Amino acid sequence: MHDIIRQLEKKREMARLGGGQKRIDSQHAKGKLTARERIELLLDPDSFEEWDLFKEHRCTDFGMDQAEKTPGDGVVVGYGTINGRLVFVFSQDFTVFGGSLSETHAEKICKVMDHAMKVGAPVIGINDSGGARIQEGVASLGGYADVFQRNVMASGVVPQISMIMGPCAGGAVYSPSMTDFIFMVKDSSYMFVTGPEVVKTVTHEDVTAEELGGAVTHTSKSGVADLAFENDVEALSMLRRFMNFLPANNREKPPVTPTEDPADRMDHSLDTLVPDNANKPYDMKELIIKVVDDNDFFEMQPDYAKNIIIGFGRMDGNPVGIVANQPLVLAGCLDIKSSIKAARFVRFCDAFNIPVVTFVDVPGFMPGTQQEYGGIIKHGAKLLYAYAECTVPKVTVITRKAYGGAYDVMSSKHLRGDVNLAWPSAEIAVMGPKGAVEIIFREEKNDPAKLAQREAEYKEKFANPFVAGARGFIDDVIMPHATRKRICRSLAMLRDKQLDNPWRKHGNIPL
Amino acid sequence: MFTKILIANRGEIACRVIKTARKMGIKTVAVYSEADKDALHVDLADEAVCIGPAASKESYLVMDKIIAACKETGAQAVHPGYGFLSENATFSRRLEEEGIKFIGPKHYSVGKMGDKIESKKLALEAKVNTIPGYNEAIAGPDQAVEIAKGIGYPVMIKASAGGGGKGLRVAFNDKEAHEGFTSCVNEAKNAFNDDRVFIEKYVLEPRHIEIQVLGDSHGNYVYLNERDCSIQRRHQKVIEEAPSPFVDPAMRKAMGEQAVALARAVQYESAGTVEFVVGADKSFYFLEMNTRLQVEHPVTELITGLDLVEQMIRVAAGEKLPMTQADVQLNGWSMECRINAEDPFRGFLPSTGRLVKFQPPEEIPGQVRVDTGVYDGGEISMYYDSMIAKLIVHGATREQAIARMRDALNSFVIRGISSNIPFQAALMQHPRFHSGNFNTGFIAEEYPKGFDASMVPHDDPALLVSVAAFVYRSFTDRSASITGQLQGHERKVSDKWMVIRLKGDQKEQHPVIARPIAGGYHVEYKGEKYEILSNWQLGESLFRGTCNGEEFTLQVERHKTKYSLFHWGARADFMVMSARAAELLSLMPEKPAPDLSKFLMSPMPGLLREVAVKVGQDVKAGEKLAVIEAMKMENILKAEQDCKVKKISAAAGESLSVDQIIIEFE
Repeated sequence: MHDIIRQLEKKREMARLGGGQKRIDSQHAKGKLTARERIELLLDPDSFEEWDLFKEHRCTDFGMDQAEKTPGDGVVVGYGTINGRLVFVFSQDFTVFGGSLSETHAEKICKVMDHAMKVGAPVIGINDSGGARIQEGVASLGGYADVFQRNVMASGVVPQISMIMGPCAGGAVYSPSMTDFIFMVKDSSYMFVTGPEVVKTVTHEDVTAEELGGAVTHTSKSGVADLAFENDVEALSMLRRFMNFLPANNREKPPVTPTEDPADRMDHSLDTLVPDNANKPYDMKELIIKVVDDNDFFEMQPDYAKNIIIGFGRMDGNPVGIVANQPLVLAGCLDIKSSIKAARFVRFCDAFNIPVVTFVDVPGFMPGTQQEYGGIIKHGAKLLYAYAECTVPKVTVITRKAYGGAYDVMSSKHLRGDVNLAWPSAEIAVMGPKGAVEIIFREEKNDPAKLAQREAEYKEKFANPFVAGARGFIDDVIMPHATRKRICRSLAMLRDKQLDNPWRKHGNIPL
Repeated sequence: MFTKILIANRGEIACRVIKTARKMGIKTVAVYSEADKDALHVDLADEAVCIGPAASKESYLVMDKIIAACKETGAQAVHPGYGFLSENATFSRRLEEEGIKFIGPKHYSVGKMGDKIESKKLALEAKVNTIPGYNEAIAGPDQAVEIAKGIGYPVMIKASAGGGGKGLRVAFNDKEAHEGFTSCVNEAKNAFNDDRVFIEKYVLEPRHIEIQVLGDSHGNYVYLNERDCSIQRRHQKVIEEAPSPFVDPAMRKAMGEQAVALARAVQYESAGTVEFVVGADKSFYFLEMNTRLQVEHPVTELITGLDLVEQMIRVAAGEKLPMTQADVQLNGWSMECRINAEDPFRGFLPSTGRLVKFQPPEEIPGQVRVDTGVYDGGEISMYYDSMIAKLIVHGATREQAIARMRDALNSFVIRGISSNIPFQAALMQHPRFHSGNFNTGFIAEEYPKGFDASMVPHDDPALLVSVAAFVYRSFTDRSASITGQLQGHERKVSDKWMVIRLKGDQKEQHPVIARPIAGGYHVEYKGEKYEILSNWQLGESLFRGTCNGEEFTLQVERHKTKYSLFHWGARADFMVMSARAAELLSLMPEKPAPDLSKFLMSPMPGLLREVAVKVGQDVKAGEKLAVIEAMKMENILKAEQDCKVKKISAAAGESLSVDQIIIEFE
């Protein structure tokens, strides 16, 4: 027995070293932590239960039978807790065959995903892999597809988070891309379908890996990733904080974090947030930060499509998803990128029982050939579809402009908004007074004095929340300083909301 | 007594006058420009009248509009505050003609004293000490140089109509005299519509000490002791105190009597200030008389127990002074810090925009007073000057006053714009300031290259480390109380933490043990014990607590994994994590900051007046690149090195935000 125990300990020790000290040092020299160090920082101390430590690859081609078999085969998998809450983890080990994905490597990932589905707990994947284990050929490709299939099955059932902490190229990108959120680390991670060399050959573009698919590229240009962090330590620490907003699965309500922040806290500085001049922007983030518990707003995709803000906060201790137009950027209008950004977020919240709070100041959809040729009709419809299909509690506050179709889209009453509130500065109308008057009174086009008078009349009549209030499209006009209190109460009232969409295989969102 | 008065001013002084008027049962009328529609003084007054567009020239400086506002509202008197029309003899004469009382001196006193040349002649006649200088009108820069040579360098060139440091130049040689004269004339013309300037001897190592006087229409005069306003930055007062640490009773009496003699010579009826320049040998010379209420009047109020605005109103209504010289008190010590919307870490450039948070320290009668014209959520516009509040304290001794000021500065929360609070706090702990041995050159001598965060040492780093541990554990304990934990496997928060202080590229590691106790945490650090109690709530900026029973206040901000503490003007950045995480953090590479030398970025929000270069142009270091206007000031941005313009990203007339790129270089 003693011998076996000694053997076990020896095997474990060896497995824990992954690709060996030399490769660990090299990993550190690249500014990256090892697969195990990452898990250590991610999970509560001593909570990690590892599986398949002894799993080995079965490949015999291209000298793989001669190569020393490293137990674990390049990925560390298991489960543990984050603030006491169960999560499943896989963390690719770049020190073993460059973290490349073999058939057995994929089997390990599939194992934790299957368990996560069975018990209803999130899956966190830490990606640091050179790609497919080429020596294995199609077996490796099959492994990818097995993971992909599980990503899709898990989608909307348990939260899936991808942390990209090294290379993630080729087919490998499609696993993270199907998860709910992607976090990246600046300067040490990249994602692309084809690398810089192939790009150079095919399109003659000269581009570095960082420019092509680095954290900054994907969080500001492509929108593929949600957040970019300075280094592994910051990324994992923030991921822990992020997980506090998510329920374990789609059957559960999101977790509650008690707060001392009073639900009826007033903030009189909000009364002056909206400037008198309708063309003057203001920072919608200030409102969000002042309204959520403890001023703690966890923004997602802060550098992409900045004309819309998305992220998580808590109201009365309960997580909420926040969507808000940002008047500081492009006047807060909806365009292709912002519609897609917000639509995906609303659907995530809906899938995981997270109420959606929407702050509206939207002048409309962005005009122009670029938008029309790019398919704003189809992409704008995504946000409309997402809000319309969404059955979680929806509370909407219109702070200023709610014009045209964009008014309808932004969680309006007509799209089953549960509580729709407006600030006194709200203007709910088909369009801005100037544009409206120029169309209605086309024949007076050449008489600026008359037109100005018409504009004033229009403003008087429609540039306020009362017309919509008279129709019940707005439930109440509220004082800005009471916004937190009114939202908290609305959400408390809606806590046990029940609403089901008709049965169907699935809807056909305009993809 | 009046039943209704109009305040022809804005900002803190308008609010301050309204407070006294209300106390006296007098109704108030505010006037405001379009930019001040939502200003505090408008809100506080019983009535308010809009007098035109944002620019002062079209609103606060237009006499007709103010007189019309008086008539419209039936105001019987006008308090002018300071600045704007407060020292405009025409204005007070016109009011008189309209049968409206001017709450201030008579126009002849204003006229005589407002003209620096005439005032000096008068002072000579009244046997007030004066400094050598040239009091006649000067024809041009060449004559100015001759005069300067005659007096002997250094000389001061100053706008006759100027005040408060505006339109003032110091010249040490002919070239500077020539240039100084020209720019002084231009500035005077623009600012005061009066291009006369005068030249006089510039006293080196001078202190600026002024005497507050009060006169009535019955020929009674008193002096209300001195104020020391030597702490100045570029001739703008920064800190004022009363009494002066430099003045002894005999000197006070001599200065006071000369000040009264001067006031008597111009039949001065109201509150006024006689400014003296004081040499190291305690000699003093008359500088000028300010025929208005001064910004720094509260320090005099706190040591004398008088309300100067009330006295001004009573005198204007024809009442006699209620006291004689013998009744004038001098109790304890008072100090005032001017809180300006400017960024001390960016060369004190003005900062404008929304006051996302404005929470001044709590006022305590007899100890802490806050005079302000702004509020939480208000707007600092670029049209008016940058002073947003005055923080005034009183103590039995100078030391106590300083201690109270330091505490008050700690709890002054301003977000959204930058303020000079860190700088004020640094001054408050400067040994030379404590010693009282300073002159008007103090700031220029002690901070010759400007001000940066490293100049604010913190003498109690252990407190900061302990509070960082407190704040981090509060967040961690909060997270650990989340629902949905695996039963029997709940999160147990460790007591052992590594507090990492970030100093530039350096990461100082400070291991601590932080245990929760009732009302706070018990922190062990370097073998010492710190019991920190506080009812601080997560997310709040203001952190009030006690450390081993001793009270303290500081400010906290969390940004991602970093916690910034602000205390006594110092800023300390921390990260807190397990010792193991800290070990792994040390493996992370330090990333160099991006190279911004290829860009000219706007150092402040403002209006881009001019771009002085073209694409492709070669520019030499020191050459003018662009001009930005903010807070009435034109700021010239110059090239820091030789460079070539690659791209111009902003056009003249554009409103700029901080760090907005104006020009790219190759």
